[in-house]
Amino acid sequence: MKGIRNLTKPAGFAIFIILLFLIPLIIQKPYYIHIFIITMLYIIVVSSLRTIALSGQVSVAHAAFMGIGAYFSGVVSKELGFSPWLTIPLGGLAAMMVAILVGYPFTRVRAIYFSMVSLFGGIAIVALIRVAQKWTGAAGLAGIPPLDPINIPGLVNITFVGQKVPYYYFTLVLTIVCLLVLYRIEHSRVGMTWKAIAQSHFVASSVGINEAGFRVLALAVGCFFAGIAGASYAHYNLVLAPGTFSFLPSIFLVMYMLVGGRDKFAGPIIGTAILVLVLEFFRGLREYAPLILGAIMLLVVFLMPQGIAGLFDQIRAKYGEVRNRKVPGSVA
Amino acid sequence: MEKSVTERYPEVLLETRGLTKYFGGLAAVSRLDMHVNRGEIVGIIGPNGAGKTTVFNLITGVLRPSGGKIIFDGEDITGKKPHLAAKIGIGRTFQAAYLFADFTVMENLVASFYLYPKFSFWEAALNTPGYRKKEEYISNQAMEILQLVGLDKVKDELAKNLPHGYQKVLGVARALAVKPKLLLLDEPIAGMTRDEIVFSLGVFEKIQSQGTTILLVEHNMEFMSLCDRVIVLNFGQKIAEGLPEEVRRDEDVIQAYFGSEHAA
Repeated sequence: MKGIRNLTKPAGFAIFIILLFLIPLIIQKPYYIHIFIITMLYIIVVSSLRTIALSGQVSVAHAAFMGIGAYFSGVVSKELGFSPWLTIPLGGLAAMMVAILVGYPFTRVRAIYFSMVSLFGGIAIVALIRVAQKWTGAAGLAGIPPLDPINIPGLVNITFVGQKVPYYYFTLVLTIVCLLVLYRIEHSRVGMTWKAIAQSHFVASSVGINEAGFRVLALAVGCFFAGIAGASYAHYNLVLAPGTFSFLPSIFLVMYMLVGGRDKFAGPIIGTAILVLVLEFFRGLREYAPLILGAIMLLVVFLMPQGIAGLFDQIRAKYGEVRNRKVPGSVA
Repeated sequence: MEKSVTERYPEVLLETRGLTKYFGGLAAVSRLDMHVNRGEIVGIIGPNGAGKTTVFNLITGVLRPSGGKIIFDGEDITGKKPHLAAKIGIGRTFQAAYLFADFTVMENLVASFYLYPKFSFWEAALNTPGYRKKEEYISNQAMEILQLVGLDKVKDELAKNLPHGYQKVLGVARALAVKPKLLLLDEPIAGMTRDEIVFSLGVFEKIQSQGTTILLVEHNMEFMSLCDRVIVLNFGQKIAEGLPEEVRRDEDVIQAYFGSEHAA
């Protein structure tokens, strides 16, 4: 019985991922493929935001770090002619370096104060992007090269220029890899230490945990993946505007996470998928997007404080019997 | 004849010299000279607001002293960060039952084994065989401590669901995970039932017998009999020091606790 239940979860994941690989065969409209690509990129960003949140800090600058990756990769590949395959990881590293530099002063403050400081940090980063207009073009950076073709003679020949489906597969593989890495880190002692700090920094430091160091580590890891996703976005969209990474998008990212549920790994995935779709659905009412998101946010906060991913637990706690409760003294 | 305290524990482990802490204009701790010898159980007692917990927070680096020195194991540790205090061998519990509330009892312990054995980010993220061996070692060690303090039967309960007394014992277990030379216990029996107190005293004696030095804070005078030596604080100053029975008869102490009309 237990063996079967242990198998159902991985089997479910496998089917889900196979379905995702089949999607370009089923849905052929480029617009829908585009939405899938954008959703997956934002799933990486919001999941990495949740990684930072594991250590008890909610950053309101995450879109800015995505922007650092995007602009770094975009400018370096355009100006210096490096391959995007190289500049995408470099973009992640650039975002990570900035996170480490600003991270130490940031760790002097906690909770809401951290969020406030990060907010100003995010605004400053976007302002710097605008100021460096010699490279970033101030209002927008155009002419970013697309991904180089993958060409192994006789085996594969994939070109990315003007194609949606290759980008879809690139983003899908990237998302799966990023999420696997984030999942592994969360379920290791590193993740446990982050969660310990979030629960009580007094207790954590009393057992020797270097709170500042681990909070910077969380920022570094989170911003690395935001940078990777941002850089991938740059070489997909081929045009960048600073507004994509400004204050409001950063707030949106936090909303995606909270609506999905920050306690669960699936939270950012669910929240992002639903809210990106909702925003696309109301595309005609673009200037009302914050209003719509705000209303959804309020509903979630009042009706399901643990987010959509926590809804199942919430219902079970309210109506169901307490299943699988661990009995004291039982062998785990 | 029984040996005197200094003969039994000749070596100084912790020493404060002129330790002072001001909060605004108020001296919470004032020119405190005290020492704890290796192997001892020393009690700091005093009425509420006497500065006992402040002394702990100064020793562990949660607060920076306004003046004076703290020397631990021959090393000046004045003003060091809290996580470094743990690293050099000072474990502590908190007055309120601070814990990792959303972790199980076992997870509380496992998370507390941060210092030993060391692990790197990469081996943890990659889940290397060496890292898994460390994990296994940690869970064995954690289980040993839980058995020592009698929490092994509730190891899978969430810490926040435990009764208050168990939560305090869990605090002690967690402090033991840093393999402390000196264990600071902040009001370890406050709010406990009789049975829990009796049990806890047994645990503390076991910990001492394994070679750990204990410095504890209490405002309950009855608890002093456990201690080898007692230091009495009032308004941040040391007003008495000595064997428990000596201190109990001390006039200043009686006055501090019960007011002047009781001092006869």
